[in-house]
Amino acid sequence: MSGALKLLFPQSRGPLQAMMVNSAGGLTGGDRFRLDAEAEVGAALSLTTQAAERAYRAQPDECAEVSVRLSAGAGACLYWLPQETILFQACALRRRLRVDLADDAKLLLCEPLVFGRTAMGEKLTEGWFSDRVEIFRDRQRAFTDATRLVGDIAAQLAGPATGAGCRASALVVYVAPDAEHQRDALRAALPDDALAGASLIAQDVMVARFLGPDGFGLRRLLMPALDRLSANTLPRSWRL
Amino acid sequence: MTTGTGTITTTRTTIRMNTEPATEDVLKLAQWFSPGFPVGAFAWSHGLEAALAEGRVVRGSVEAWLEGVLEDGAGRADAALLAAAYGSEGDALTEVDALARALAPSAERLAETVDQGTAFARTVSALWPDRAVSPMAYPVAVGRAAALHGLPLELTATMYVQAVIGNLVAVATRAVPLGQTEAQAMLARLTKRCEAVAQEAIAGGLDNLGTASFAADVAAMRHEGLYSRVFRS
Repeated sequence: MSGALKLLFPQSRGPLQAMMVNSAGGLTGGDRFRLDAEAEVGAALSLTTQAAERAYRAQPDECAEVSVRLSAGAGACLYWLPQETILFQACALRRRLRVDLADDAKLLLCEPLVFGRTAMGEKLTEGWFSDRVEIFRDRQRAFTDATRLVGDIAAQLAGPATGAGCRASALVVYVAPDAEHQRDALRAALPDDALAGASLIAQDVMVARFLGPDGFGLRRLLMPALDRLSANTLPRSWRL
Repeated sequence: MTTGTGTITTTRTTIRMNTEPATEDVLKLAQWFSPGFPVGAFAWSHGLEAALAEGRVVRGSVEAWLEGVLEDGAGRADAALLAAAYGSEGDALTEVDALARALAPSAERLAETVDQGTAFARTVSALWPDRAVSPMAYPVAVGRAAALHGLPLELTATMYVQAVIGNLVAVATRAVPLGQTEAQAMLARLTKRCEAVAQEAIAGGLDNLGTASFAADVAAMRHEGLYSRVFRS
């Protein structure tokens, strides 16, 4: 651990809580962040961030890079629950997240994204964001999400098949034997007008996607779902 | 001093230009991507049925929805997967197939690509047993078959993308519903973008593969819970 990325370990019940703090205050062109974390056999680890991450305006031809590798051994339980990443006008960010799970390890992963400083009415008319979440189980590729936002991101997300007018989105992946039950509970708890859904892509793997009008609206949808999926051990920083 | 004589025999040579594919190649691709080729495309709405049922897409926005799928969804992503499969064999090809399956955002979208790819592989393998293709996700099976048949990549990817969008236009024609001429005019406008999307996806490769079709993915998930369904996705 070195540079602007620090880890805090607040006292908590449930899994070991690790809170990532970016003391640089955000990401900008040329930044390189790398994190490796492992929950060993039978262990439980929950990772979050102290605050929302900000992808600032980058200089031309510069790009921030964030690379995270997580792994969970047999019987281990891993939560990856960072707070929102806010994409600022003219940001350039490349993120790669790889998760390696032993066959019976459990996972709860959530990656919330906010497109622009919505409270200020900022529109993302330029930017570059490449994101990939790759989950392997027993070394076999189990799920991959690849996001690509390029150029006039506001226009790209204006369509009914893309952002449908929403300014925030989150991917949730849940791997555990009760995934089917959790999918049903998640669906039943969604408000009627919510632009969100969940699906079981394997017997014990649930994928869900949430869209919200802004970061706040997204949280209102996400919090009850994450409370349920984490058995009420959602990191305290999410409540502030 | 020895001398020798040489003979030069000229034979008929076919030089294939990238810009001018051979007629036989175009005809083979036209057959593969015709609605009569038994991949069962008509059964899959890619989430559109749910988006229409919930009123999130209406007659006036269906073209914008299809444009999103083409530019920022499975259209562009599939073209990149097709290109990667075209240049791979053995374990590398298996990895491209695993990636294509893992990218499916929902159970029905996974079935959509695997069922069509399996049917496509079965049919081309029956017609050309010397160039058999194993069951894989749809764009991967098409990319592999195109390589085995020596078909030009860019044309294959462009016609594949047009076929995927053309099928969704046909779905919309039934589900919205749209008039036949209205639907074909829509497809003609969307077709203008197919070549550029395929070219950009091929140039970008797997590392630049990515989508922004969040609402279409949500629609595919919500389709599973739809009370009355005509389509399988």
